[in-house]
Amino acid sequence: MEEKVYGVQCKTCGKETYPAHAVCPNCGGHDFEPLEITGEGKVLTYTDVYALPLDYALRYLRLAIVELDSGLRATGQLVDDDPKIGKRVRTTVGVVRETGGRKIYGLQFVPV
Amino acid sequence: MREVAIIGAGMTKFGRSDLSLIEIMSEAAIRALEDAALGDQKVDSVYVANMGAARLNRQTAIASALVDQLNLFPAMAEAVENGPASGASAFKNGFQAIASGMADVVLVTGGERMREVNNLEATDFVASMSHPQAEYIYGVTLPALAGMFTRLYMDRYGVTAKHLALVAIKNHANALKNPYAHIHQAITIEGILTAPEAVVNNPYIADPLRLYDCCPVSDGAAALVLTTREIAEKLGKPIVKVGGIGQATDTHAVHERPDPTELTAVKIAAQKAFQMAGIGPQDIDVAELHDAFTILEIAESEEAGFFPKGEGHNALEQGVTSLGGKLPINPSGGLKAKGHPVGATGVAQLVELTWQLRGAAGDRQVEGAKNAFACNFGGFGNNVVTTVLMREE
Amino acid sequence: MSNVDELEALLRPPAMEMPPYPPKVITLASGEQMVVRQIDRDEVPTLLKAIAPLIWVERDFYDVVAARLFGELLAYKRYRVRDEYCLVGLIDGVLAGIVNGRAVNGDVGMSYHTITIRRGLRVGSHMFAAKMEYHMEYLNQKEVLIVAESPIGFRRWMIEYPLQKKYEVQHELGGVPSWTLTRDTYFKAKPRLVSGRRPVPPELLERAKTITLPGEETVKAQVLGEKGEGA
Ligand SMILES: [Zn+2]
Repeated sequence: MEEKVYGVQCKTCGKETYPAHAVCPNCGGHDFEPLEITGEGKVLTYTDVYALPLDYALRYLRLAIVELDSGLRATGQLVDDDPKIGKRVRTTVGVVRETGGRKIYGLQFVPV
Repeated sequence: MREVAIIGAGMTKFGRSDLSLIEIMSEAAIRALEDAALGDQKVDSVYVANMGAARLNRQTAIASALVDQLNLFPAMAEAVENGPASGASAFKNGFQAIASGMADVVLVTGGERMREVNNLEATDFVASMSHPQAEYIYGVTLPALAGMFTRLYMDRYGVTAKHLALVAIKNHANALKNPYAHIHQAITIEGILTAPEAVVNNPYIADPLRLYDCCPVSDGAAALVLTTREIAEKLGKPIVKVGGIGQATDTHAVHERPDPTELTAVKIAAQKAFQMAGIGPQDIDVAELHDAFTILEIAESEEAGFFPKGEGHNALEQGVTSLGGKLPINPSGGLKAKGHPVGATGVAQLVELTWQLRGAAGDRQVEGAKNAFACNFGGFGNNVVTTVLMREE
Repeated sequence: MSNVDELEALLRPPAMEMPPYPPKVITLASGEQMVVRQIDRDEVPTLLKAIAPLIWVERDFYDVVAARLFGELLAYKRYRVRDEYCLVGLIDGVLAGIVNGRAVNGDVGMSYHTITIRRGLRVGSHMFAAKMEYHMEYLNQKEVLIVAESPIGFRRWMIEYPLQKKYEVQHELGGVPSWTLTRDTYFKAKPRLVSGRRPVPPELLERAKTITLPGEETVKAQVLGEKGEGA
């Protein structure tokens, strides 16, 4: 199954944003093209969350904000047993949540 | 613009309540109205601060329900929902109504009944503030955002687990002097950090944040009565003037901020409130900051301008922010120990500061407090309301 | 007379040799010292006095846990449960928590109940951990069968350890089928969930000799979350 995560690129000025907004934060434009969020980058920060919301019967979940080499940043799950600030990772897409029997796909970062 | 004064303040004890949301809000409102002793003066308008009644308590249109309980017909009434900053937002609306001449007397009541649902549901409810596609689906909760923020802050500014623990210990100690606080439990550095048992006593919630770095889930309500300066003087009330209010927003997804350790909305909101009040951070005698997580008290104390960026934790360690220090922060116990019924919090901060400025804060009184500052922080800093209150002789 | 004794002998379950639980002391978040020790049958009536008022507290399933614990401890005192034991947590001699369980046989333990009298200091967590410690390190059992009767219990035991489902076995409490704590899971979880020091200094042990009960109003205020950490 091909599942992807998308941000947008402004058709007017080329600015990339993730997540998408209705108005371009750079030029005010309204026309966008989908932009696949993919590639390599580095861990900006991370946490192990033990106070989990509904839908997770886990002890904890490892989350991170990653800065991609393109300069875009994304929040996602970090699949790494030895996390560190600044560590190189790349994006993958997997099931990040299951709610009411429905699988939700999203970003999972793995070490390069 | 007309000058606005607070003439009535009241709140319920925070904690767990068996009463309904409307009942706890009524209790706080009645206390504030009794304190105001309005006489023939009628309440013209009611602003209710609440975040979750529809989801947590399955009740909507709660401002009308409150007016009905209090027999305030035909007062104007509406609810204000602005996440955990709902309280100060409702207060701002009340201020505007009086300043503009639309109303002469306003009742602002904030309340939340969170413990009607279990902790998992409450965590999920609060997490629903996060960005639905870019954050929430990953299991992001408010503690998760705070945990990531804390790790970066520690990495960059030398804040340590000990500094976080010192915030908790200070605020728990302050709450012991506040009969309205949810938590009346002293904690020690040994018990939550240095003893081997601390791993069990104080487990990680969102590493590096631990249990005692996070506020509890509380029920509670708080209320204020506002009026014009003229009416306040006519009623012979001590004048607690609303000096300034500031508000600012920031990106929904935290990762989109140019520097995720900066709480830009706090900085802008504080600058606006100080500008409006005509004073600066150096003139503040007491502050209530939104310490839903210990790191936020440190970070907000810097963004508000009390300390340079990266130095709030040093001021804390030196006792500057303790009761008896130069700038006591969260004498009420803060969200950390007073509790955090989300819709009530912003109002409760101002109730505490009103009492402080009147010299009526009991054992936790900051001597001679004249100017006070509150920061009510919504989302993870994407909507912040700050207020400056001033006592006039 | 001898007929009665014979009948009692028939009613009284045979007993297995169970090594005692050596007392330990735990520093709590407040800095207070909680001594955890085993009780004997003579101390049961004191505990029943503390438990009885909680039988009517619906919040957090205190009613169910208190009523069942009352029955289990009474039956322990009157020799009607086989190989039962009970541990208490005492702060300055004042009762803070109770746990109980029993040995099914040499290899299998059965966890019964955990009740927290002093809330907000992770007393329940410490007491449950002490119970698991007893089964694993002193009774040297292979597994402990566990169920939760409240959402708090579920989150504490099933997720924190984490326990494994063993639904093919019915737990003695008769509710949902069993979950199990294995030796492997226990020793993995031990560093973050089991704490305390031995031996207990004599003066602390002396103060923990007699169980003092907090007043009924204090107990209710603590249990209803009007004091201490609400979460
Ligand atoms: Zn653009």
